[in-house]
Amino acid sequence: MLSYLLTILIVMLIYILLAFSLDLQYGFTGLINFGLVGFFGVGAYTSALVTMNLGLPAWISFPAAMLAAGLLSWPLGRIALRLRDDYLAIVTLGFSEIIRLVIVKEDWLTHGVQGISGVPRLWPEWRSSASELFLFGALVTACAVTTVVMRRITQSPYGRTIQAIRDDEVAVIALGKDPAIFKTQVLVIGGAIAGLAGAFYAHYITYIVPDQFVPVTTFYIWMAIIMGGVARLLGSVSGAVLLVVLLEGTRFLRGVVPGVTDAGMASFQLGVIGLLLILFMRFRPQGLFGKRSAS
Amino acid sequence: MTLADFINLALNGLVEGLLIALPALAVTLVHGLARFPNAATGDVVAAGGFGGYLSFNATGSLLLAGLGGALVGAIVSLASYYLAFKAVMRRSVITLLLTSIGVGFFIRAVMGLSFGHELKMFSLPLTRSLNFDGIMLNPTDATLAGIILAVLAAVFAMLYVAPVGRMMRALADDPDLGRVSGIRNDRVMLIMWSVTGAVCGIAGTVLGMRTVLSPEMGWAMLLPAFAAAVIGGLGNPVGAVAGALLLGVVQELSTPVVGFVYKIALAYVVMLLVLLVRPQGLFNRPQGVR
Repeated sequence: MLSYLLTILIVMLIYILLAFSLDLQYGFTGLINFGLVGFFGVGAYTSALVTMNLGLPAWISFPAAMLAAGLLSWPLGRIALRLRDDYLAIVTLGFSEIIRLVIVKEDWLTHGVQGISGVPRLWPEWRSSASELFLFGALVTACAVTTVVMRRITQSPYGRTIQAIRDDEVAVIALGKDPAIFKTQVLVIGGAIAGLAGAFYAHYITYIVPDQFVPVTTFYIWMAIIMGGVARLLGSVSGAVLLVVLLEGTRFLRGVVPGVTDAGMASFQLGVIGLLLILFMRFRPQGLFGKRSAS
Repeated sequence: MTLADFINLALNGLVEGLLIALPALAVTLVHGLARFPNAATGDVVAAGGFGGYLSFNATGSLLLAGLGGALVGAIVSLASYYLAFKAVMRRSVITLLLTSIGVGFFIRAVMGLSFGHELKMFSLPLTRSLNFDGIMLNPTDATLAGIILAVLAAVFAMLYVAPVGRMMRALADDPDLGRVSGIRNDRVMLIMWSVTGAVCGIAGTVLGMRTVLSPEMGWAMLLPAFAAAVIGGLGNPVGAVAGALLLGVVQELSTPVVGFVYKIALAYVVMLLVLLVRPQGLFNRPQGVR
């Protein structure tokens, strides 16, 4: 029971990091990113490979994961800045799929569809339960630090600028600021946060395959920030918590309702999320705690 | 690679491109009138595929299978409009886009719960390819390509010959001017959602006949359809079909060089390259950001 609770909490905190990343990009800056899972995946694979292939201690792999995911956000920014919202959504989605297909294909590095098993825990010489607790502590610290950084970013002149870009880009240009620079920075910072989430994921799950990084995960994080409310840190946190409760709740139902297969449960989960997404967008686009509407 | 191999790949690419052309056309028509990329398009394709499958098993007729697919596709598409999209029609792109993702999830869930996840196949007679000096022609593929061409011809006739097509194009061009000119928006929307649904349903039936049916098959089709519509320019019907054919042929011809996995990625790479040069797609006039 305790280990189950720990798992839930760790997954929740990883989702919170991802929600922060997306909220910075969409909630505060208005950048539609449908490719979030790609940067999550790059972080996971980078940290796993740095630890395993270069033989470096696990903690060094975390900054490496952030760097790789952040750097990869830069070319996306170069392409994305000239595009309208609808094109941007499709391009970012395609971008994350390109990343996934590269992971599948370059099996000399990534082991392709078989994935990488046996990613070392944070302190491989410790007992696994102790190592998990340590990872949990590190994750809590990382979330706290990210929260502080997000607050500093969003409640500063810089934060007012990115929110102005979201609300009225033309006015920002008229003030003599170049939105392109800010947008690129936000994409890179958000990418790095997603990469950090990926590094924690890899070292916690210890087994990564390309199938874990399909676009559905991106949409789940969108669901989280919509439910919680965009452009509010409390929204990201509560949305991620609610998402895990939903996903685990539907799994819990399976134990209660007899004769439900795994596939049936997965379908049911998908249907619940889909229906909630429709209802939230229609009746509560500002989310549970949001001050402003997602539309 | 001999000339015959090259021609075989190009022909195969054209068939693949035609398969993508139908959902790409649906994406672009919806975008023209409703101003958002509909992420549920692929799942309407899959639903239509199951409709065609049931209809084929009940009657054994290819024609009725196509009609069944079109009917189910149209019903699902209309239901998605009246139950989900209509209420948020005047809001932002992202509202409609996320709603469409929710709709797609819901359709996929209903299919998964109704039909299960084992792959289903149409029990069509196996046909031998005809060999013309090394150039292979598969009669089934030729028939399916013919069906798709007929559907494309019908849709374009509706768009460019029938009065309702002129109304659609007028509303796509300038909704407010269209409305004050007395075009009845509700009626045009009804027709547009049923036509795009029927087109998707036929696409699903044809795809199911050529490969296998599964609740997830629509998702695999959505991204290539998006890519084709973006390459041609969102909202541009000719562009969507041209984009799909271009992608199909380029992907097929590149397979011997880049392999099967990167063939799929190539669609998105071509899309990125086109947008780098023309942010509005190949066939659209330049537009400002927002």
